[in-house]
Amino acid sequence: MTARIHPVLGILTGIVFLFLLAPLVIIVGAAFSDTSYLTFPPRGLTFHWFANIFAIEAFRTTAVTSLEVAFLGTGLSLLIGVPAAYALNRYRVELPKWLATLFVLPILVPEIVFGFSLLKSITIGLGLPVLPSLILGHALLVLPYSVRVVGASLAAFDFSVEEAAISLGCPPVKTFLTVVLPNIRAGVIAAFILAFITSINDVSVSVFLTGPGISTLPIQILAHMEQFFDPTIASVSVLLMLVTVGVMAIVEATLGLTFLTK
Amino acid sequence: MNKFAKWGLTLPATIAVIVLLLVPVILTIATTFDEPKGPFSTYAAFFNSGFRVNILTRTLRIALITTSISLVVGFLAAYVIAQMPGRLKSLAIIAAVFPLLTGVVVRSFAWLIILGKNGIVNDALTGLGIIAEPLSMLYTEGSVIVAMVYLFVPLMILTLTGVLEGIPRDVIEASSSLGAKPVATFLQVILPLAVPGLIVGAVLVFTGSFTSYATPQLLGGERQMMMGTLLYQRAMVTFDWVGASTVAAIMVVITIAIVAIMSRMARRLNPMAV
Amino acid sequence: MKAIRIATLATVAALAAAGFSASAQAKTLTISWWGYNGEKMTANIIEPFKKICGCDIVFETGNNADRLNKLKLRGGKGVDVIYLSDSFSQLGIEQGLFQEVDPAKIPNLADIYELGRAPQGKYGPAYTIGRVGLVYDSAKVNPPITTWADLWRADLKGSVSLPGITTTAGPMAVMEAGKHAGVDPYKDADKTFEAVTALKSNVVKNYNTGSELVNLISTGEVRVAMAQDFTLASMQAAVKTMTWAKLKDGDIATLNTVNIPKGSENADLAYQFINFILSKDVQQKEAEQGVDAPISTKVELTPDQAKIWTYGAEQVNALSRIDYAKMNAAKTDWIDRWNEVFGQ
Repeated sequence: MTARIHPVLGILTGIVFLFLLAPLVIIVGAAFSDTSYLTFPPRGLTFHWFANIFAIEAFRTTAVTSLEVAFLGTGLSLLIGVPAAYALNRYRVELPKWLATLFVLPILVPEIVFGFSLLKSITIGLGLPVLPSLILGHALLVLPYSVRVVGASLAAFDFSVEEAAISLGCPPVKTFLTVVLPNIRAGVIAAFILAFITSINDVSVSVFLTGPGISTLPIQILAHMEQFFDPTIASVSVLLMLVTVGVMAIVEATLGLTFLTK
Repeated sequence: MNKFAKWGLTLPATIAVIVLLLVPVILTIATTFDEPKGPFSTYAAFFNSGFRVNILTRTLRIALITTSISLVVGFLAAYVIAQMPGRLKSLAIIAAVFPLLTGVVVRSFAWLIILGKNGIVNDALTGLGIIAEPLSMLYTEGSVIVAMVYLFVPLMILTLTGVLEGIPRDVIEASSSLGAKPVATFLQVILPLAVPGLIVGAVLVFTGSFTSYATPQLLGGERQMMMGTLLYQRAMVTFDWVGASTVAAIMVVITIAIVAIMSRMARRLNPMAV
Repeated sequence: MKAIRIATLATVAALAAAGFSASAQAKTLTISWWGYNGEKMTANIIEPFKKICGCDIVFETGNNADRLNKLKLRGGKGVDVIYLSDSFSQLGIEQGLFQEVDPAKIPNLADIYELGRAPQGKYGPAYTIGRVGLVYDSAKVNPPITTWADLWRADLKGSVSLPGITTTAGPMAVMEAGKHAGVDPYKDADKTFEAVTALKSNVVKNYNTGSELVNLISTGEVRVAMAQDFTLASMQAAVKTMTWAKLKDGDIATLNTVNIPKGSENADLAYQFINFILSKDVQQKEAEQGVDAPISTKVELTPDQAKIWTYGAEQVNALSRIDYAKMNAAKTDWIDRWNEVFGQ
């Protein structure tokens, strides 16, 4: 879809972005402030709070755990979520309606009850060790994004194209990968981004699923803040933004620079 | 093959949700009906407390306002982003995602700087002579809504951009070549086709804001208590999991009802939407 | 197709690897604690203790409520020693999660202040003392704060922050309101909360975490706060004139305790560990490095080292104590009343 944009729309969008980015300027400023508390405008300039993240061992180990959990959890959720989204749209008329609702449950249930229930079902019920529990829990947590966001893209997909390919002798799976997937790429990537970010920021579920020896970065940050009130938390946010830029760059490089433009 | 595909593809996700989430949540909520004072006593107690009903209506109001604003703002931004050339579009999306990456404490700190009594907005307003005394903007319903919109607009933008891009160009061209005015094309072609995305976005934002805990805690304080805060107090501070589950059950029922109403309204705009 | 298969295999393999790597290890002491100051904890306590016990040590981290909730859900299992603030350890005791402690197995108990030896009946000892009091900005608050009753002063309108009712110090604000009203807060909640209501116009916002309080102070929203002593240094970094009030009616003691959960599989190691953290050497190091206030009477500090802590018999004895059993019993009601006062 491409059309000309009315200048008024352009200006309004500019205001939206100003609204989205202004608080970030404050956070980035505070992250470099040479004070032991959050302040803006920053006083002095220091990389100390960034160094702090790398100096404290617990931050390093939990950051690795968080990345592992976010990648594997998001991957797992896409692995089971995209087929479900596909089936829900492809066979919309034939599948019962409650099925679509079922996949939104992880966000319908308040996070704390969700975490509490997961602890009972995964850690205690299945007896799984901490790390697999975390990965499984996060996969469930982000499943709604995989199913619904990808589903929204599929809703606009014209399935007759797929049928044409199959009737011309193309195997179903290959058809999916070569015909369907390229058309919903933007949706899959949006789902991945939302899921990954949700996972890496999650507190409520991780609070219950972390256990002896294994914790995630947001939980560790909260622990740090029980005692220290310094700008480390701001610099973690800034680092996360940098990591996101990095991840997006990798996504662009591997899936093609034009992933959002088609 | 068809039958296998239909059920087989949804099976792993279905099993995961039912076994690991639905059943344990139902078991948790079941405890609320197993009370000595009768199966619905905890619910009666909830609805008999004017204070708690107040929290419920406030939560609903805040969630609905947040969802409406996010829909309009998100749609606008997504519509413009969808027309942008490649590079610029990627940049815009990355920028839109950033707010999601800030921890809730730093974020509330940022709003303190913007909306506080010594904050940027008050300084600007007093500097321009528009107001004499700084306004108290923090810890109000407004500040909670602003902070939530801030958090949920990116979600809306991401969801809608994908959908708007999926609308084939020739459909729009067909519409205008048949003589439709841009406004008519928008209302009769683009908007209905965007409905699936609008529903998904609205559902994600509504549920997200209805159940949120940290944002109202930090930007609303005790004056703007919401259901999530109430639930947290019950569960984590007094270990009252029955009381907490009661709050949770009420929240789940209301969210499901609202989501159903939203989907029904949306189906009027586009009968093909789920 | 291939890509999907590879992705599936990788995920499964990773899940499996994650599952198997977490098992095996002869003797492991599992400690549940907050997780801040990890570097100093490792250097002062963990590494030396590992050498003594020849065991491995694993941590579970998180705030009081989270860890205690998890311990309860696991039926008291999975952890050998749990660090908690005293209001939460009392909750754990009431939930039947901890073992009774045999004082004979902790010889160093003899060297700590009386109030820390068995603060909650037959359960675990305290390893550090803190206090809750009032802080104020001496540049802006005049006359200075000298008693709890000053919280109600008319000139403090819209400039006070109290700890939220759900935090460790929150219910103490209710206690002081009861005293202010001249009633026993456990017996006369109505009068007590009238006094709380009278405070409302002075309160800007109550805080739930130390960082929130420091933000409120640094941005000038708050000039007077009821706070725990460990937040003082951060507040002073933001606003130099923040001062710890010398209250005529005394600060309130808060103790951090260590307990052995019922499901501990290494109780002997746990005793050994608790005895170790109460030893003079450990207490001395922790105090000198600004980690925790000493509870051992053997610790000697220079005035400069001591100034941030509740230190010495005189100060320790001046603190007022809270009966947590009573307080926890009243807490649910207090939370509701508090919500109604500040939620309107």
